[in-house]
Amino acid sequence: MASLDRCLNVWDLRDAAKRRLPKGVFEFVDRATEDHLAVANNRLAFERIKLRHRALVDVSGRSVATTLFGKPASLPLAIAPTGAAGLCWHEGEMELARAAAKAQIPLTLSTASMTPMEKIAAVGGRLWFQLYVWKRRDLSHQLIERAHRNGFEALIVTVDSPVSANREYNTHNGFGLPFNPTLRFTFDIMRHPAWTTGVLMKYFTSGQFPRHQNYPEEYQKSILSGVGSRDAMRADSLAWDDIAKFRDIWPGVLMLKGVNRPDDAIKALSYGVDGIVVSNHGGRNMDSAAATLDVLPEIAEAVGDRMTLILDSGVRRGSDIVKALALGAKAVLTGRATLYGTAVGGEAGALKAINILKNEADRTMAYTGCCTVDEVSSDIFWGYREGNRLVGV
Amino acid sequence: MSALDRCLNVYDLRAAAKRRLPKAVFEFVDRGSEDGIAVANNRNAFEGIKLRHRALVDVSGRSMATTLFGKPVSLPMAIAPTGAAGLCWHEGELELAKAAAKAKIPFTLATGAMTSMEKIAKEAGPGVGGRLWFQLYVWNKREMSYQLIERAHRAGFEALIVTVDTIVPPNREYNTHNGFLLPFTPNLTFTLDIMRHPVWFTNVLMKYFTTIGMPRNENYPDEYKRLNRNDPGSYELTRQDSLDWEDIRIFRDKWPGILMIKGINRPDDAVKAIEYGVDGIVVSNHGGRNMDSVVASVDVLPEIAEAVGERLTVILDSGVRRGSDIAKALALGAKAVLTGRATLYGTAVGGEAGAFKAINLIRNELDKTMAYTGCRSVDEVTTDIFFGGRQGNRLFDRVMDTV
Repeated sequence: MASLDRCLNVWDLRDAAKRRLPKGVFEFVDRATEDHLAVANNRLAFERIKLRHRALVDVSGRSVATTLFGKPASLPLAIAPTGAAGLCWHEGEMELARAAAKAQIPLTLSTASMTPMEKIAAVGGRLWFQLYVWKRRDLSHQLIERAHRNGFEALIVTVDSPVSANREYNTHNGFGLPFNPTLRFTFDIMRHPAWTTGVLMKYFTSGQFPRHQNYPEEYQKSILSGVGSRDAMRADSLAWDDIAKFRDIWPGVLMLKGVNRPDDAIKALSYGVDGIVVSNHGGRNMDSAAATLDVLPEIAEAVGDRMTLILDSGVRRGSDIVKALALGAKAVLTGRATLYGTAVGGEAGALKAINILKNEADRTMAYTGCCTVDEVSSDIFWGYREGNRLVGV
Repeated sequence: MSALDRCLNVYDLRAAAKRRLPKAVFEFVDRGSEDGIAVANNRNAFEGIKLRHRALVDVSGRSMATTLFGKPVSLPMAIAPTGAAGLCWHEGELELAKAAAKAKIPFTLATGAMTSMEKIAKEAGPGVGGRLWFQLYVWNKREMSYQLIERAHRAGFEALIVTVDTIVPPNREYNTHNGFLLPFTPNLTFTLDIMRHPVWFTNVLMKYFTTIGMPRNENYPDEYKRLNRNDPGSYELTRQDSLDWEDIRIFRDKWPGILMIKGINRPDDAVKAIEYGVDGIVVSNHGGRNMDSVVASVDVLPEIAEAVGERLTVILDSGVRRGSDIAKALALGAKAVLTGRATLYGTAVGGEAGAFKAINLIRNELDKTMAYTGCRSVDEVTTDIFFGGRQGNRLFDRVMDTV
């Protein structure tokens, strides 16, 4: 039995990924920032919401399918943009994209991905493109034009990363992107021969060491080539004017990722944004960040049906999806969960992670008496929710 | 790569300090009192405050600079008075003071320091761009305290901080368990501890022995410099349980500079401080080192800030380990924070360079927190960045405010 077969939930996949990956790579995926308060709090927010069994509803015809921006998705889930899939598995982003296409859910390609968007586009499926805005805006504008030409249906502009995050463990692990040769990371790699053979050596022997394939030529560096231009990456001047510009030049679905406040959500509406991702970047940026599930209800209340709300940060079980839907989200994104799967089994592993979540969401809907995702509301909660708080029973 | 280079946050500095210092010295710096409840609660209070990302504010021109008592500082922070810097590093107080001057933040020298105030003033004072504050434990023989502050004034200290939360010696049981008494009293436990730390023994203790001998309380009157708490005479000097508001009135008369009181925990005390002409208060529980049942200083801050408004400068200490803690304190009404342990850990690992590193780690974290929350200047840091509303000294969720 392959190790993938023994994985029955996302935590099992995480354990298997931990065994397989060098510590530097695993922690880059798994850990967050500073004291890990945000990442823990994201989980707590999900786990403390309690549901009630609904008795005697015929749920035999139930379905977790939904529509996102007018097009079908087999469950209210999409793949979050992440930068490290290509280090979890040889050409991991391709594997993840194939899994998403097979599962009929959207895949988001990150600006920092290691696969050119043209290659991902050839996989098909529903494709979204995530944008980190560079200091030189013209280069960002060229990039999204390229995404449009390649058939990406949506653009997600990340707005929660004005400064780089304080991820001390990467330095302690001797791990950085781009790679810097450090003795510590070399020892780390040497303790993981299967990964070295199956991932690293395959890149070496194909002569195609992963690069930031979607960066403009002048920024594009092999991740072996040392530190890229920090100044070029500087995004702390990003402002609403930029969104107006993106709205002008991007004809497709436009989303902002990293909105945490009702006033920002309303402002996004006024700029013609189609959707927002309520996200704290998986707890990876500001360690004091409130749990996204806690801020979701008041944002949902503020924007109503006027835009599509998506939630991420902390989803590890199908029940989490159901809770997010009940509080106003139309779907969730998963980052780590599907990366763990990719690390354990490439496409098959990623697909397994998706199916695990799907199966758990299906069970939760059955227990709570929901036949369709539209029936999922805070009525399934134990306790009385008002705004963003559980106020009593 | 040196040990200092590997330290990327205050906790790394703490771990490195723990390896380097004798257990007794480390615990004297690191621990609190009794069951360590106050220390833990100070951290919980900070960590329980959740912030929200603010989207799409151009923060490229942001700055942490502010003014304290009308003069500029590069970030809203000053060095708290501590008694053990000289045991963390040879002449550690001087190292710490130099780091503060370089970082453009004030340094507070403690009454119990092991470096004379004149030496600090000469090497890290206004002459080299340093701002110096002097902390006072009031002695039973008041006349000696008056002489001490006169001396501080002559030396160029711009502010006097009278500590009012230490009326009795705290119950720090671990010091006795560790055989650690200030000043040193020979005992086997501590000797064995020292012998397990030869680097510290060589670089700190032997340097004192070969120069000045045993480190002393250099700012005490001559007859008390070799203060021993077991000596009834010195207990008579240091006992402070008769300190009251009348003393503050006298200090206000005698001290021409900025006057602060450190250890205010109640709004009524804060309002009284205004009546006595005090310029600033430090909302502090002494880093959780005195009363173990004490409330977290960040929890008492909002009602104190509300009570005093703009009438005096409110500074907070006790529990600051991350730059985000400063943002939270500012949002709740403080003008600045003091750090004690954080910069002592740094001093223990690398002297001036270590203390400077601690300051810069915190500075960098505050800068990131301000960027994430969309604040371009410290004046923009308000409870608007919080998730949930604050009412009085408590975090309520938004809806609870209206229920």
